[in-house]
Amino acid sequence: MAIIEQPLGPLELARAGGGVTPSSAMGVFRRPVATQGWRAWLFTVDHKKLGIMYGVAAFAFFIIGGSEALLIRLQLAQPNGKVLSASVYNQMFTMHATTMIFLFVMPMAAAFANYFVPLQIGARDVAFPRINAFGFWAFLFGGLLLNLSWFLGGGADGGWFMYAPNSGVQFSPGHGIDFWVMSLLVTGIASLTGSINLIVTLLNMRAPGMKLMRMPIFSWMVFVVQFLLVFAVPVITVALVLLSFQRTFGAQFFTVQAGADPLLWQHLFWIFGHPEVYILVLPSFGIISEVLPVFSRKPLFGYPFVVFSGIAIGFMGWGVWAHHMFASGLGPISVAVFSVTTMFIALPTGVKIINWIGTMWGGRLTFTTAMLFAVGLVTQFTIGGLSGVTHAVSPSDTQQTDTYWIVAHFHYVLFGGAVFGLFAGFYYWWPKVFGRLLDEKLGKWNFWVMVIGMNLTFGPMHIVGLQGQPRRMYNYQAGYGHEIWNLLETIGSLILAIGVLLFIINVVKTNRRPADAPLDPWDARSLEWITSSPPKEYNFERVPTVHTLDEFFHRKYQENHETGEIVKVTTAEELLAIEEANTDANMHMPSPSYWPMVLAGALPVLALGTIYKTYLIAIIGGLIAIVGAYGWANEPSVAEPGDYDPPAGTSKELAPLG
Amino acid sequence: MSHERSLRPADESGGTVATGPMEREYRMRNGVRRAGGAAAALAALALLSGCGARQSIFQTKGDASQKINDLQVPVFLVAGVVGVVVFAAIGFALWKFRDRPGRQIPVQSHGKKAVEIGLTVLSATILLPIAVLTVSTIFQLAKSPDNALVVRVTGQQWWWEYTYPSINGASGRPLVTSGELVIPTNTAVKLEITSRDVIHSFWIPALNGKKDAVPGRVHPLRLEANDPGVYFGQCTEFCGLSHANMRQQVIALNQGDFDTWVANQQKPVTKPTDATSPAGKGYDAVGARCVACHQVDGYTDTDGKQVDAAADEQLVSGAAPNLTHLMSRSSFAGANFDLRTQECIDRLHNATPEQFGAEYLKGTPPECLDRAKLEAWLRNAPGMKAMAPDPGPNGLRRGMPNLGLSEPQIDELIAYLSKLS
Repeated sequence: MAIIEQPLGPLELARAGGGVTPSSAMGVFRRPVATQGWRAWLFTVDHKKLGIMYGVAAFAFFIIGGSEALLIRLQLAQPNGKVLSASVYNQMFTMHATTMIFLFVMPMAAAFANYFVPLQIGARDVAFPRINAFGFWAFLFGGLLLNLSWFLGGGADGGWFMYAPNSGVQFSPGHGIDFWVMSLLVTGIASLTGSINLIVTLLNMRAPGMKLMRMPIFSWMVFVVQFLLVFAVPVITVALVLLSFQRTFGAQFFTVQAGADPLLWQHLFWIFGHPEVYILVLPSFGIISEVLPVFSRKPLFGYPFVVFSGIAIGFMGWGVWAHHMFASGLGPISVAVFSVTTMFIALPTGVKIINWIGTMWGGRLTFTTAMLFAVGLVTQFTIGGLSGVTHAVSPSDTQQTDTYWIVAHFHYVLFGGAVFGLFAGFYYWWPKVFGRLLDEKLGKWNFWVMVIGMNLTFGPMHIVGLQGQPRRMYNYQAGYGHEIWNLLETIGSLILAIGVLLFIINVVKTNRRPADAPLDPWDARSLEWITSSPPKEYNFERVPTVHTLDEFFHRKYQENHETGEIVKVTTAEELLAIEEANTDANMHMPSPSYWPMVLAGALPVLALGTIYKTYLIAIIGGLIAIVGAYGWANEPSVAEPGDYDPPAGTSKELAPLG
Repeated sequence: MSHERSLRPADESGGTVATGPMEREYRMRNGVRRAGGAAAALAALALLSGCGARQSIFQTKGDASQKINDLQVPVFLVAGVVGVVVFAAIGFALWKFRDRPGRQIPVQSHGKKAVEIGLTVLSATILLPIAVLTVSTIFQLAKSPDNALVVRVTGQQWWWEYTYPSINGASGRPLVTSGELVIPTNTAVKLEITSRDVIHSFWIPALNGKKDAVPGRVHPLRLEANDPGVYFGQCTEFCGLSHANMRQQVIALNQGDFDTWVANQQKPVTKPTDATSPAGKGYDAVGARCVACHQVDGYTDTDGKQVDAAADEQLVSGAAPNLTHLMSRSSFAGANFDLRTQECIDRLHNATPEQFGAEYLKGTPPECLDRAKLEAWLRNAPGMKAMAPDPGPNGLRRGMPNLGLSEPQIDELIAYLSKLS
């Protein structure tokens, strides 16, 4: 289906051999055309609108997941806390992790990928725009389904790793885990369709001249992540289907009495779960690999090394999963092998740190908020990386695992790593997306409050971890040395929450100001800055031809070959004027569609039918899916010319092919 | 934290070893924090509270934990040094290359291969010895001596059971206890760890790392304690509702004391002679309900026949703690609550290695019994420890229900339980 173009002009119709209009060929289906108002968002297939929708939804889930974290911290502020019951606490940490991983970091990375990959590679949209929309709706409905469980008897309470047999009906009789299974299946569909879409886009839709090794580094990291997704999501899907059959239909995959080995689940889960870690963090590595060069005013140090270390992580990430299982009773040979592979995956990660420092080395550093968050990632991730090496040493890990030492480690990696990268991206790309610069003064407050909050929250977790405080405990006893640190962690989490609040205030404040961001506020380097901010629906006036890595920078600057000096020869405004004067006559743009949302909407209905074993609901869900797929397959490739307002052909956005 | 003294008895240097890496770890982080003063204060606090921690991972009270610590301390040090170097490089770059008026656009250098390869090789060189030592330690820890004392450790929601296959208990069957694992010092003990329901993890940080208890599998773990004393731990694999309340202790006794302990465990309890005494009433009226799930060796029915617990008719795990010698222990309900009053428990936990055995073998006599706590437990057990006492999908419970006992019944029951020494 791919690209759907505007109606052909009369000449082309004649050449095509007849006057067949879409509606006469396809019957009653019409395509939506709204470019303004809520309909323009609801039925959009535009990668930029979908990117923003991913971002807004993911941020909302970030606030939900963060609130869950605050409740956890309030419960643990002192020994024998009474804020949450054991049952609610277990639900809270399960849902916190699930929400942050599947509903915040992954979709937020998808938001950036959706918005910027086509812009960075000089494409007008992704390869499959309707599948893109479907992916967004599947993610959103999956996320809502998961949180619906709070109102229908309580959330999942087995931990995000959901080890069998504790995930069985006998040990968790409520429907929380059923909701968890189904919503992860639904969001998994979103991830899988999204990843295939982006792989095809990245392979097929790069602008002329953009060889793979001229691709901006963020797009490269997204590319690697999509391959991880394509191979990792099916593994968790298998595990989830097994668990769903176990819980709902009485299957025996994890029933020990029937001969099952519960370690089956652990292998399946971590074969997905470890690549997942890189799925979470590589997009942020990509973001700061864009931000650091811009604010160092130097190219990325060792671009090919960063690319290939990303690919290396992508491969090696598949060979380390059992380091989550060092205490689970694997034999010494397996443990030794996974210990060693885990140590050596530190190498490609270390290469990235080296390259980021190398990028700053000899540069001209300006500390904008985006840059602060990028440097914040480098420092915080280094701490998380080093504590990571200590648990690659498996004998040592048998002491550390399931203590707060691990909680500290992965929050430095995921909050200090992934989330700081996302915030760097917010501040760096906000003017591109919204035409407004986020307030830098508030931004710096935002950064420093978050850094202090994060170190106060997760720093002391190192200490209580070494003191042997285990994780996933709704209470702890006094007298083990944990009290003061837990209190500090709780205070830190509140500071962290204030940091996030400052960001929200910044967004609201910025939104009230006029859209007056300069075209090229950071003196940027990559292709997305060659067009207007925000970009028009069709992204580029003409598809750019790429001659070099950092194409945009090299159009603005030239090297004086005699002195070696870098001289600015033109501005972004002048470059945009050239583009506008040479607008492409033909633009292939997709039309909006109703059907992605309908088809995605069938998924939670099917899920509810399965969860409650109410086959009527499941049948209704199935029917919606059939209608959605039928409509999808049979809708015309474009809207009727007369459906447009103004009619097709009168505005540039709707420039007819001809 | 005087009551933790038993963790570093006599051998004060052990305590120092334990704190060393933590001190260095925080000194390292301290060096890179801008708020140096605050961080130094933090580090000092870390030291103060870290060294007394009952479950600190830097304890070396057994040969396995010693081996682990010998490996992990250098790793923490190396990580600390690398961290300082990286932070210094970042700090230097941030300062030295900050934008200042009049600075030109820097040379558009695309990187230096020699630097990349050099630093990668350097990192690999640092990791290589760590990898070698790690692998060798893994195989050393996996070795188990043939003549070890074997103890079967079984986890279930939310307590641990210990069975000694080579030692007969009061019933003539292998000795069974729960909560506190009693072992002889300086003897290789091989645990065979398994589970009756979900996955748990057995962990006594002072003696060895963790090992999961997986239903359907038996996992070995070697324990060897150098000194008599109590070593604390808790379940470290999330095992459902009351995971936080699943604790365990290892009680290490010298061989003589261990033999005394075994001899006591092998005695069946006797029926109270006076059926009208509180203990006698407790035995007849209420005891009968307890033994439906809890094994008490020596509890007989009216025909004088041993009553065997049938917990499998009541509980998902099919087992409840053996109560035969309840009062020989110092804790109850999954080692979650001290059975003894604060004074008595402090005396035990603060005992020197020399005194410890005698102190433990005193058991919990009536004057030491924390009666209020035990009463509260019998009044409403799930109110004290989160459990799932209502019958689940297959009619089975997880944990002890509220028995709905009257106050006189509770008194009578405690009178009887007090005799289970």
